[in-house]
Amino acid sequence: MLRANYFDGSSTRVHAVDLSMVSDDLVVRGETVDFKISFDQVQVDERLGRAARRLRFKDGAFCEVSDLAGLDGLLAMTSHQDGRIDRMQRRLPIVLISYVALVALTIAAYRWGVPWAAAEGARRLPMSVGRTLTTQELKILDGRILLPSKISAQRQKALTAQFMALQLPGGGVPDSKLLFRGSSLGANAFTLPDGTIIVLDDLIAAINNDQQIMAVLSHELGHVHGRHGLQLLLQSSIVGAFWAFYIGDISQLLAAAPVALAQAKYSQDLERQADDYGAALLRGNGMSPQLLADVLKKLVALHPEASKIGYLSSHPSTDERMRHLHLLAAHTSDK
Amino acid sequence: MDHAPEQLRFTGTGPEYFGIWIVNLLLTIVTLGIYSSWAKVRRLQFFYRHTELAGSSFDFHGNAVKIFIGRLIALSMLIAYNVTVRLHSPLVIVVLILLAIAMPWLLRNSLRFRLYNSSWRGTRFHFRGSSSSAYRVFLLNSFLTLITIYILAPFAHQRMKAYQHNNSWFGRSPFSFRARAGQFYLLYLMLLGAIIVFALVVGFAGIGGTFVAMAQMKSGGHHVDPRAFITTLLILYGALILAGILIGPTFHALMTNLIWNNTRLGEHRIECKMSPLSLMWISFSNFVLVIVTLGLFIPFAVVRATKYQIECMRVLPASDLQEFAAADPEAVGTVGEEAATAFDFDIAL
Repeated sequence: MLRANYFDGSSTRVHAVDLSMVSDDLVVRGETVDFKISFDQVQVDERLGRAARRLRFKDGAFCEVSDLAGLDGLLAMTSHQDGRIDRMQRRLPIVLISYVALVALTIAAYRWGVPWAAAEGARRLPMSVGRTLTTQELKILDGRILLPSKISAQRQKALTAQFMALQLPGGGVPDSKLLFRGSSLGANAFTLPDGTIIVLDDLIAAINNDQQIMAVLSHELGHVHGRHGLQLLLQSSIVGAFWAFYIGDISQLLAAAPVALAQAKYSQDLERQADDYGAALLRGNGMSPQLLADVLKKLVALHPEASKIGYLSSHPSTDERMRHLHLLAAHTSDK
Repeated sequence: MDHAPEQLRFTGTGPEYFGIWIVNLLLTIVTLGIYSSWAKVRRLQFFYRHTELAGSSFDFHGNAVKIFIGRLIALSMLIAYNVTVRLHSPLVIVVLILLAIAMPWLLRNSLRFRLYNSSWRGTRFHFRGSSSSAYRVFLLNSFLTLITIYILAPFAHQRMKAYQHNNSWFGRSPFSFRARAGQFYLLYLMLLGAIIVFALVVGFAGIGGTFVAMAQMKSGGHHVDPRAFITTLLILYGALILAGILIGPTFHALMTNLIWNNTRLGEHRIECKMSPLSLMWISFSNFVLVIVTLGLFIPFAVVRATKYQIECMRVLPASDLQEFAAADPEAVGTVGEEAATAFDFDIAL
């Protein structure tokens, strides 16, 4: 005998009943209810923690059973089988394996999955997306953060000519636009989503060496080649969506921290890739990757404090980048 | 005849939910998010079926496919919005107008879906709010709130709750809502006061100090140390989280009490006694434990917060709770109900 509450589906009245199995029939018997039904016609709710389970009948009526052990005894007499996911949720080894798999999946996605998907995505996005983004960004930057360049038209022309003559590692010459701008941002150069490269006056003044300027541009061409602007945009969207999903129930704000950290790591990875591409490009044009390391040295001398920020930085530490480029340079001279 | 108050109880535990949570999470990731709708049904069933009133539990009947469709719609709207905003496309206006037109209707249908698929003792809840009211409550009032720089926000909130609770039914018994806008204004004024005090304290204590340090460095001819910027950002970030932990739960507790203490089901009164301090403590300790365990504590935290909030509520019956009748399948706006099962879907509210 198994105690249960029967509800007829049309009122909230509780009918206390006893349940039992007689051959293939479920017998429901109480003061106000008395019937039997073939067990094939009964739908059994899956187990969820310690919640009462329901045996549902076709007409919307059901029995609510709180005695779960007793119900298991009753179900053992039938052909009922718990669902697969139902069983997964209750087995400790499976729960633990799920946990380990989850951690492994997250790490793999973070290290390889997301960068790969974002790189593929950036490659497949139509060029017009990059162009639209660039037009909008330039509209915001020009006149506010970026000012007209004070470099003479003649020097601009000369540098552009050298830049356009660079041989890309994969063959061909750059098809990026080179723009000169003045700014208080300091000695810097950066790439916009459609591959336009912006060179700031302070950088040219600080380096004052054409070959080294070409070295910086080779690094920027690395960003152009990998479509790093779009890639970073996609990566931040993916990571943001995941954390909002994982932790969003608790706090949207909390989710912002891991996103910022992941973003910094991805950005540093892309800088390393751009360094490698730049080094390869320099070699292909008969120059040494050492040029890029020399530029970094000059820039560090200019802003000694900028090289010290750790994990939150968008660039790897300058020391690390210089060591890597030295290595690449030594590798070239071996050949 | 007097009837004893019936306390709502939550019988679920963290370890039980942990198993469900982790398997849900894994399957969701492996299926690239598709399983999340089925996971949601399982999650809601876990919480509904562990919630008891007068010895009987609630039940959730939602269909995962409907939830999946709802999520596809929500996702496509989100993508359309994000893409047009990021590309600064003029189409963003079109998208916004479409969203404004679709939102109230979707929210109303979502309420209908959620209530229609909830039951207690085999009797279902219903939502009978009209579309036109949904447009007034969700669209017109939001617009009025915006153009009055949020002075009307408490009023809009009160109207929204009134729309929800005055149109909810349990079987043939209607819910009613009698909290006035003035009571909402009082709570929002307290919220505003708390935020101002908090901002002043944080402003003077943390950020001010950092800026002074930066100004000194600058006037001393040094470059500004980038670490000072990061310190400022971290202080700001911490302050926001702290505000969320202290002010958020207090406001939530007082608002929940106000809403439920003014809601009735037929003749039966509902009582909610949520303590701001207890909720603050639960939120704070949950928050710390979730961080320390890198998220592993999430299922325990959710169960703990849910249990506390559910068990703050009591039903004060005016008569026997056995006497509710399910809505007559033929009589009531069951046209709506049938339509609800055909067209409705769930969008998280």
